[in-house]
Amino acid sequence: MTQPEKQLTEKESLDLIAKMINKAKDACHDTGISAMMWGSLIAICALVRLSELQFDYRLPFDIYLLTFVAVIPQIYFSIKAKKKRKVKTYDDAFMDSLWMGFGITIFLMIFITNALFNAMEGYKDPAGHTAVITMYEFISPLFLLLYGMPTFVTGVSMKFKPMIFGGILCWVCCLIAIYTPVKVDLLLTAFSAVFAWLIPGIIMEKDYRNAKLELAVANV
Amino acid sequence: MQQENFSPEQSLQLIQSMISKTKQDMSDNSIYFLVWGWLTFFACTGQFVLKNIFQYEKHYLVWTVIIIGIVFSIYQGRKEGKTKKVKTYIDDSIKHLWTGMAVSFFVLGMILTKLGWGTSIFPFFIMLYGLGTFVSGSIIRFRPLIIGGILAWALAIGCIFVSYDYQMLFGAAAILVSYIIPAYLLRYRNKTANK
Repeated sequence: MTQPEKQLTEKESLDLIAKMINKAKDACHDTGISAMMWGSLIAICALVRLSELQFDYRLPFDIYLLTFVAVIPQIYFSIKAKKKRKVKTYDDAFMDSLWMGFGITIFLMIFITNALFNAMEGYKDPAGHTAVITMYEFISPLFLLLYGMPTFVTGVSMKFKPMIFGGILCWVCCLIAIYTPVKVDLLLTAFSAVFAWLIPGIIMEKDYRNAKLELAVANV
Repeated sequence: MQQENFSPEQSLQLIQSMISKTKQDMSDNSIYFLVWGWLTFFACTGQFVLKNIFQYEKHYLVWTVIIIGIVFSIYQGRKEGKTKKVKTYIDDSIKHLWTGMAVSFFVLGMILTKLGWGTSIFPFFIMLYGLGTFVSGSIIRFRPLIIGGILAWALAIGCIFVSYDYQMLFGAAAILVSYIIPAYLLRYRNKTANK
């Protein structure tokens, strides 16, 4: 015998929907692992480059090459996350395209700045500085500008304040870095990476683990 | 992350917005692309003509036309905010994206003010045009915008290899393929969909 179907009142229906939405929201927490990895990596790269300039030594390889190596674990995290999520929400699709676009833009920025460096070799600005040195002073601001964009948009879209502040901080540091020497620019880059990605990543990871725990308890 | 409990009213609003989304009620954002597209296209080609044909020294002044775009966007945004009752995820995402883009363009302008506007500035601008249109195209699932974004990126690369005088034309071409043409196609699609 089937159980008689219980008629829900309007309020009960809405409560049920609200409960389902909140449950779905719990299940939709993102892990902060990628943000943590990129935040710490960019901070380390900037600080190592700073130490090279400060203590006048050179590593046998360009420290920023590590960012290319980090693409491998990033692909692994993305595939893992894709397998885990049962439904691709609208926000997931938006975030995927935003960060993919950002990745391509960063690659282009590296390409464009390198090409400009090559083109400027030998030229001098009106003050007598070589154009390459002048350009070098603007590398950090250009990258900070890009770091801020997806971070801010992600923060606003996910209503996640640490990333909104992180994105704004990147832009503020970018504006400061225009007027400061390269060493300070590198410090500002490390500072921005920590506050825009590493710290928000730790908070996201903590939230994710708590949500997972709550979900496990609720399902018992 | 912010966790909120939904009131019955909020739940209904959410459901309403979800229905609008599933109905493929894609808000027509093409007007922004068209206004900004034509203004920027005019500025790029205008600067080229002023600099290379008339040898006018203050050729960059043509860029003041973007003030029209700013005034229009504020006016249109307010108008839409008043008349639209249901806001879809698409509306919100596009708004957040272009707020981020607008700040990025402003900050890039600040960098270039110090670096010098006469240097290779166009690759950076074209690169950002590409980012905005690529993500917008992905949000509204409209392929011409996605392709337009990718073409803009290709033009940003090509732009590095020409002199500043001709970079303006690359800028105009990027605007044409990533803003203007996709915007007309979007308009056409929305019109036929509404029929």
